[in-house]
Amino acid sequence: MKGKRQKAEGKNQRRGRHPLCLLPFAFCLLFSLIALPARAQTVLPEDQMYQIAKQLNCPTCAGRNLADCPTDTCTQWKQEIVSQLKDGKSGDEVLTYFRGRFGDQVLQEPPKEGFTLLMWVVPVLAAAVLIVVALLAAQRASSRNRKSANLPTASSNQATPANSYETELEQQVKDAS
Amino acid sequence: MTVTPEVKPDAPARLRLLLTVAGVAILVVALVALGLMAMRLAGQQGARPTAGMPAPDFDLPMYANYENGLGQQIKLSDLRGKVVIINFWASWCVPCKDEAPALEAIAQKYADRDVVMLGINYLDMERDALAFLATYGVSYGNGVDLQQRISKAYRITGVPETFIIDQQGVVREVFIQPITEPQLSATLDNLLN
Repeated sequence: MKGKRQKAEGKNQRRGRHPLCLLPFAFCLLFSLIALPARAQTVLPEDQMYQIAKQLNCPTCAGRNLADCPTDTCTQWKQEIVSQLKDGKSGDEVLTYFRGRFGDQVLQEPPKEGFTLLMWVVPVLAAAVLIVVALLAAQRASSRNRKSANLPTASSNQATPANSYETELEQQVKDAS
Repeated sequence: MTVTPEVKPDAPARLRLLLTVAGVAILVVALVALGLMAMRLAGQQGARPTAGMPAPDFDLPMYANYENGLGQQIKLSDLRGKVVIINFWASWCVPCKDEAPALEAIAQKYADRDVVMLGINYLDMERDALAFLATYGVSYGNGVDLQQRISKAYRITGVPETFIIDQQGVVREVFIQPITEPQLSATLDNLLN
C-alpha cells in the first residue's frame, strides 16, 4: 500500500513540474503586455485634457477653471488641448503654449518665479512674523510669571535692603532697652 | 553693609532679543514684498485711454496672410501720420461676428486713404481666429494680442472694443460696443478732413 501511494505521489510531483503547466501563466503575461499600452492609449486624450484644463483659467469667467466651464470659448480651448495632445505634445508643452500665448493669468496657480514668486513668499513671511510675535509674547509672559514667583514674601528670609533695615532697627531697640 | 542685586547671564533675554531681531527682519522683508505687489497692482488698475489721451504704443505680431503689407510685426508708433483703427475681437465673441462686415466695408472704403485698420485678436486660438477671418472675408491687417499685453495697455473689459487714433497718435474715439459703418465713417471723415 505504502509503496503504491509513494509511486502515485511521485507521479503527481512529476506531473506538477511539467513545463506545459506554465502555459496559463505565460498567456497571462503575454496578455498583460499587450493590454497595457492599449489601455494607456484609451485613457490618454480626454483624461489628460481634463488634467491640463484643471490647471488653466477660463478666459471669460473670473476664477473658474477651464475644465469645469461649459462656455463656447472654453470648449474651443479644450479642443485645442486635445488636438495638441494628439499631435504628440506633452502636458507641460501644452501648458507652456497656453502660458506663452495668453500670459501667466491663464494659469490657475501663479508660477513660482519672477514677480509672482512674491504671492507665494508674502503669506509665508506673514506666517513667520506671526509665529515670532507669538513666541515673543509667550516668552514675555513666562518671564513675568517667573519674576512674580521670585518676589520676596514676608515669610522669606532673604536679606533685602528693606528687611535688613528692619533687623538693624529691632537690634537698636533691643540694645536701647 | 549694602546688598547689591546679583547679576546673572540672562538667557531668556538673549532669546527675546534674537526673536525680536528675526521678527523685525521678516517684517521688513514682508512689507517690502507687499509694497512691490501693491505698486504692481496699482499699475494694472489705471484708467482706460479715452479721447484726448495718447494711445499706448504696442508691437503687434501679425497672422500670416493678414500682414496687409505692414510686415510681420507692427509698431503703432510707426504708423504716425495715419489714422489708425484698432479693433479688439475674438472668434468666440458673438457681437464681433455682427460687426465684422461693417469693419471690412470700412477697410475697403478707406483703403486708398491714410487709414490703417488693425484687428487685434484677444484670448483666442490661432486656428479659430483664422477660421473666423476666412468666414467673414476679412482682408485688413490682423494680429494676436500675445500675453494680453495690448489689451492690458488699453484696459479693455471685453470684446469687441474699437479705438480710433489720429495722425498724432492721440485717441479720438472709443467704442465699447459693436461698431456700425455710419459711426465709423463719420469719425474717419472728420479726422481726414
